Amino acid sequence: MEEKKDLVKEQYELRNELYSYLEQQVRERLHEEVDEGFVESLRQRIDGLVEEGVGEIRERVRREIHAEVTKKVGEIRRKKEKLEKEKKKEHVEVERFSLNVRIQHAILFTGVIILIITGLPLKFHEARISEFVIGLFGGIDGSRLWHRIGATMLIIVSVYHMIYLLFFEEGRYNFLQLLPRWKDIKDFVQMIKYYLGLTAERPKFGRFSYVEKFDYWAVYWGMVIMVGSGLLLWFEEISLRVLPKYMIDIAKEAHSDEALLATLAIIIWHFYNAHFNPSKFPLNKTMFTGKITLDEMMEEHPLEYEELVRQGKIQPDAEDKQ
Amino acid sequence: MRNKCCKWTVYLITAGAMALAGVVYGQERNAATAQLQWDRCLICHGKPGLKKVLPNGRIISLYVDRDQLARSVHSKRRCEECHTDITTIPHKGEIKKVDCRHCHYKGSPMGVPDTEKYLEYEESVHGRAVKEGNPKAAICQDCHGAHDVLPPTDPASHVFKLHVPQTCGRCHLKEYSDYSKGVHGKQLHEGNMDMPSCVDCHGEHRIYRPTDEKSTVYATHVPETCSKCHAAKQIVGKYGLSPERVETYKESFHGIATEFGEKRAANCASCHGYHAILPSSDPESPIYVTNIPKTCGKCHPNANLNYARGSIHVNPKSKESGVVYYVSTFFRYFTTLVILGLIIHILLDIYRRIRLRLEKEKS
Repeated sequence: MEEKKDLVKEQYELRNELYSYLEQQVRERLHEEVDEGFVESLRQRIDGLVEEGVGEIRERVRREIHAEVTKKVGEIRRKKEKLEKEKKKEHVEVERFSLNVRIQHAILFTGVIILIITGLPLKFHEARISEFVIGLFGGIDGSRLWHRIGATMLIIVSVYHMIYLLFFEEGRYNFLQLLPRWKDIKDFVQMIKYYLGLTAERPKFGRFSYVEKFDYWAVYWGMVIMVGSGLLLWFEEISLRVLPKYMIDIAKEAHSDEALLATLAIIIWHFYNAHFNPSKFPLNKTMFTGKITLDEMMEEHPLEYEELVRQGKIQPDAEDKQ
Repeated sequence: MRNKCCKWTVYLITAGAMALAGVVYGQERNAATAQLQWDRCLICHGKPGLKKVLPNGRIISLYVDRDQLARSVHSKRRCEECHTDITTIPHKGEIKKVDCRHCHYKGSPMGVPDTEKYLEYEESVHGRAVKEGNPKAAICQDCHGAHDVLPPTDPASHVFKLHVPQTCGRCHLKEYSDYSKGVHGKQLHEGNMDMPSCVDCHGEHRIYRPTDEKSTVYATHVPETCSKCHAAKQIVGKYGLSPERVETYKESFHGIATEFGEKRAANCASCHGYHAILPSSDPESPIYVTNIPKTCGKCHPNANLNYARGSIHVNPKSKESGVVYYVSTFFRYFTTLVILGLIIHILLDIYRRIRLRLEKEKS
């Protein structure tokens, strides 16, 4: 109030004029999307300049205000763009599973589902539902036919998978990535520590975590037992030409027991890790679309992400480059 | 006056006595009363040589043994009560076979055993054949006897357990001869009441063709029928046989297929035979080791001795099963261990997620 009284009329008018210019600029160019601090700091500068002297400064101050506002406009635009980019990154998807792999998986799980549905009723033949399920297939003849259709799908997939591993570059690459390494054991130990709260750091996985490797190799073990024993039982008359009856009994026992183990592992373990865990529930589409978002990749396969960035196969945004 | 009174008293007493006699005659029909009636018929039928030639040339005896009839359950019945079409002597018209259904039917007030068996017989292969007019089909008296009907528990009855094979064998000759060669027949003949007679497998009155789904010896019902004894330790245990035979069969592919209604799958009888069932140690038995290729070959062409290397009745939980036992045991522990480990891993994951969320909410 003291200062105001001391101002000469000219100074007072110039200040008011510059103030209204600033207000107009903020309103028109920044659409008032600006914090009060920015406006206040410019007002203080106007005050300072006006006190220095009148006359020539008007145009200079106006230019300065214009430049400041321009800078601010750019700042706000960049901020917006950055936000948008970050938002976008969550939806940037890259291919995790090729069509080739997806088709193999689809045939495999279709076959396995058929096998489980037509096989378990034999193991639990005394249960009411077993009779019902066998009835759906039109009796034991129908269910046996379907069991063999499922088995054929499994055999085709396992033979094709060997071709895939040998003759496709992608197959060879994936296989190398799936080989068990010392790191998997270290990852496992760290994962348990992390689960128990002994460390805050989750192990960093590459293309395949130890969980996925376990699933992959469990299928090998399962395939060898199931297809091997299954073929002996399927062609039992041929088997018995060379093998004693007790070998068929062993095959039957192994087939039945491994079937239960595999079913439980798929329903409990594989479904939880792939689909039913809280981050993926109720369905993880990656195995169907083949796509994984960069966000998920950074979270679940950070080492693969880093490797792909290093190879230049994916573009991290500007900030990540710096 | 006194005389008149006396006269009336005599009348009354006589009437009362007559009424009483009527009651006794009508309701009690004691043996003596009925057997007095027999005398008339036995004048002719009491002669052992009385015979009749049927139009088809068969000669049948018309002799009735009074003592036998007196011992039977029908000792209080008069002849005409069963032979209802005989009204005059000499007999006139066609004389039919006695129809037991005259008294023996479900809900009959005549004091006969009130059971479902009459209805079961009507539905059975015998009852149906009779209805269709087959003169050879067994009627009641073919099995139970005519003038010598006795309770089935009476050792002299035609349907007493030890006599059943002979009774059925009167018509079923081949089956009787086979049965007599088998373990069941031989030992039953020696008086072993544990052994099954015909009716233990085929049923008493509810006998059907083996191809009839209602039959106890229909392909898919055989295991259950055999299990009545062969799954009962207190019966087969006595003879050193395993009561697990039925259970191990049920767990086999044959057993499971049979359970789901597959008639072609082997049941007990397919391998062990029927009627002439022999122990595996008997060279005549279809399951004697060198007979295995032939027996299995009935369904599995070109079966060889490999079919005999190992047991058909395998219990994976029994050490006697050899490698199968170890495979089964391995998988029991392995599966438990693996699945338990996987579940713990999942639970730890869930635990960590919950903790992270709680921490986030706090901050």
